[in-house]
Amino acid sequence: MAPPEPSASRPTSTRTGPGRLLVAVYGLFALSASARAAVQIATKFSHAPVAYLLSAFAGVVYIIATATLTAGSPTARRIAVLSCSVEFAGVLAVGTWSLVDPASFPDATVWSGYGSGYGFVPLVLPVFGLLWLRYWARRDAAQRTIVPSAEDTGDSAMPSEIDR
Amino acid sequence: MSPVNGALPTTIIVAGLALAGYALLLTALNRRMGTSLLAALGVLEILLLVLVGMIVARLADGGRPAGLVLLIGYLVATPLIPVVAAFWGALERSRWGSAVIAVAGLVAAVLMVRLHEIWPVIRV
Repeated sequence: MAPPEPSASRPTSTRTGPGRLLVAVYGLFALSASARAAVQIATKFSHAPVAYLLSAFAGVVYIIATATLTAGSPTARRIAVLSCSVEFAGVLAVGTWSLVDPASFPDATVWSGYGSGYGFVPLVLPVFGLLWLRYWARRDAAQRTIVPSAEDTGDSAMPSEIDR
Repeated sequence: MSPVNGALPTTIIVAGLALAGYALLLTALNRRMGTSLLAALGVLEILLLVLVGMIVARLADGGRPAGLVLLIGYLVATPLIPVVAAFWGALERSRWGSAVIAVAGLVAAVLMVRLHEIWPVIRV
């Protein structure tokens, strides 16, 4: 058995701590969605063009989310928030669309039926991604308050939010 | 065409789920990845490599699934899963490294079902 963690250390970037798991799952979906779409578009595009193009779009969104969560700079995190939001909206829109109009989806996409073919992971993944990004946004805000600069002297953080 | 022996994919499903359960237990207990998880990943890797070898042998015998390109993609990606998970998990000195290994176990189990869908000759 591995030794227990001596103390719960704070993650140092968006790709460590819980982010390690998020990046792993995002990377998995980036690879599987884009590779699957590439094969489908290359071999039988006319069979289900809408489904395959949506799969390809999903693949691109997953690739961007994986890359930006791995990078973790403030700019990357802003892009990550955008891609996770697009992803969440995409799952909800395509999920509803696939239920209302199944004829448009002779073959499934990652987001069909709200990701039911993938254990609904596509539905919960963007939620955890956005929660993780919000944690970082708040941590940044708390950090700025500890070292007050000219523009944010009025703010005061709750004691629990202050870095130890 | 005789089917690929179903015992191995079934074993991989059981092993993958057991690995995932153990890794999730370690995550819940706030334990990071240790030698026990690495050894379990090694066992999973060997099982996956043997399966890939059996499927390649079937292809060499002249068997052809409808989605050959897709199958080859899966054959390349499958043995990489425990390796990538081991590296990515070992980088993390916290419970979340164990959680990464749990994902690898689940993915290995799901892949067996997908392989069967791609080529029904591969029994589960």
